[in-house]
Amino acid sequence: MKRFFPRSREDWFFCGTDSASLSIEDRSRCLKRSLLITMMLITMIPLCLTVGISFIQYRKLLQEETFINASWSAENARQTIEAYLERLQAAILVVSDAYTIQELVKPKTFGQIFLNLKAEHKGLVDLSLIGPDGTQLSYAGPYDLAGKNYSDSPWYNQALTRKVFVSEVFLGYRNIPHFVIAASKRNPDARGCWTLRASIDTETLDRFLSAVNNEAVDDIFLINEQGVLQSSSRYYGRVNSKVVLKIKPKKSGITMLTDQKGGQSAIRAIGYVRGTPWILVQDHQGYFHKKTWLSFRSQLALIFLICFVLSGAVAYRVATFLAASIRKSEESRELILQETEHTGKLASIGRLAAGVAHEINNPLAIINEKTGLMKDLLQQANDFPYREKFLAQLDSLENAVSRSRVITHRLLSFARRMEVKLERIALPEVIEEVLGFLDKGAAYRNITIEKFFHPNLPAIQSDRGQLQQIFLNIINNAIDAVGEGGEISISVQETARGTLQVDISDNGPGIAPEIAKNIFEPFFTTKKGKDQQGTGLGLSISYGIVKKLGGDITVNSEPGVGTTFSILFPAVTDNTEETGNDKN
Amino acid sequence: MTKIKVLIIDDEMEFATTLAERLDLRDYESKAVESADQAFVLFQTGWTPEVIILDLKMPGVDGLATLAMIKQHNPAIEVIMLTGHGSTASGIEGMRRGLFDYLMKPVDINELVEKINEAANKHGP
Repeated sequence: MKRFFPRSREDWFFCGTDSASLSIEDRSRCLKRSLLITMMLITMIPLCLTVGISFIQYRKLLQEETFINASWSAENARQTIEAYLERLQAAILVVSDAYTIQELVKPKTFGQIFLNLKAEHKGLVDLSLIGPDGTQLSYAGPYDLAGKNYSDSPWYNQALTRKVFVSEVFLGYRNIPHFVIAASKRNPDARGCWTLRASIDTETLDRFLSAVNNEAVDDIFLINEQGVLQSSSRYYGRVNSKVVLKIKPKKSGITMLTDQKGGQSAIRAIGYVRGTPWILVQDHQGYFHKKTWLSFRSQLALIFLICFVLSGAVAYRVATFLAASIRKSEESRELILQETEHTGKLASIGRLAAGVAHEINNPLAIINEKTGLMKDLLQQANDFPYREKFLAQLDSLENAVSRSRVITHRLLSFARRMEVKLERIALPEVIEEVLGFLDKGAAYRNITIEKFFHPNLPAIQSDRGQLQQIFLNIINNAIDAVGEGGEISISVQETARGTLQVDISDNGPGIAPEIAKNIFEPFFTTKKGKDQQGTGLGLSISYGIVKKLGGDITVNSEPGVGTTFSILFPAVTDNTEETGNDKN
Repeated sequence: MTKIKVLIIDDEMEFATTLAERLDLRDYESKAVESADQAFVLFQTGWTPEVIILDLKMPGVDGLATLAMIKQHNPAIEVIMLTGHGSTASGIEGMRRGLFDYLMKPVDINELVEKINEAANKHGP
């Protein structure tokens, strides 16, 4: 079995350096492979480029969209937290402005205020009033914190310096993570400031943060400047765990960055929460998690696969078709070359045969005459004792000469296949010439030859010698066929524009259909009797010559009725007249 | 009865003389020469054949040229071409130039005699 895949790299395209030495089959296979590869490259390169560019562009678009969405989402979350805290701060400030310390120290009033605030702000845990010395004066809430002193607490000291303050998350006396919103106010009746403090636990903050979460957000949490978690994180754990930020956010707005999470890139949005010590961190899933991206990727892969299979199939079909067509034309060309070579060889053999026949015919003629003379003399010498024996020997010699003569005549018939020399010829003229050569023999056998030549027939461009040979062969066959007293008719007419038809008909015994179909085959002869000896080349040569001259020859025969040979020749047209080799 | 005079022109003298001898045995008056020049020398002696048997391929003046010269000299002389190398074209060309018939070597003596008689009788016995 022949290989479709070549052995070496250069064989893929060039079939090796010496493709001329390959057989037609190998060259065809190689051509098919080259065409297939070339067509696949032609189709696949633009397809790959299109798919690649689409992939990159769509990924870029999704990336940009994800960045914008993440930034917008983080900004939303930050504003929501800020609004929540501002509302709490405003409430604390309103209370501190609306009530005096004397009113606030009353437990009933303070408790009522706490209940009112808690009803409106659900995350509120407790409410404290702290005196100028840092001691808690009033407390409303679930913990037992009455009388606690906060003078050493960092949040208390910072609250004294500001109108309102939001602390970091810390444990404090209750030992539970929480943060406070504190508002300090100068006591108009005494020295120092009193402070109103509201506590909010981090679970409230967590709930709040999870409320602003959406499906695109992977994690959202708050940290302080030191990276300590102020709320729970999905990935970094609970409050007070440490988170390392590679870069710090800008003072305002949201800062975007990409980060690695679980071996895949994630988008991180960070920004300060105004009025607090907190930094909001929001992690988004990468674009590659998005359904649209996954859908786009699978659709693109499917389109690529379909195009690959389709273009492969089409390329294979086209390559096969082209390779087969080229192979067919190469085979035809090779056949023509072989025929040309064969014709050339035949012509050489023909010339050689002609020379040999001539050279042999002359000595044969001498032998024939010498033998004949000896016979003549012996026939007159009745007293010669070995007369009969000698005559028998001489008959044998004559028979041998006769056999040799048949051979040389066959050689000469074969040699008559000469090169074509085109000239402008009137067909009736050539037929008359041939008849002039044959009519004595025909007349000797009482054969009637009738001619019907239409007037004003166009000329043909042909070879005179070969035309003579064609007509000689066919008319000679007709003479042999009809025998004593037969009839032959020859007509020439223009049957269609540009075509001349010569019909040579005889009233001989006709040809059986099984013989008629082989009549133009070389060495096929029906003349095998004692009187007739054919070479089987006459009609074959005539057929070859007619075809070579651009014509056609057919035979139509009916046993018992006769035979008609029809020969068609292309007539000279204006164009052929201008370009032809008219030698007249 | 006057014998028919036959001249054989062939460069193969052995053939020509043997054929002439055979024709003589058949009551013809025949002579053999090997070229056109010798034939015309013979004509100058006053011996004129009724029929000439002429070879086609000869050194010097070939058969077709000799035919033309003979026909020019005496159109009444009938010429039969007898050649070892026959082609349709040369046969037809010979017929065009006034050849009586065209035969291939080696020829059967009876067929040749028949042709000679036909040629000799062309202008009447």
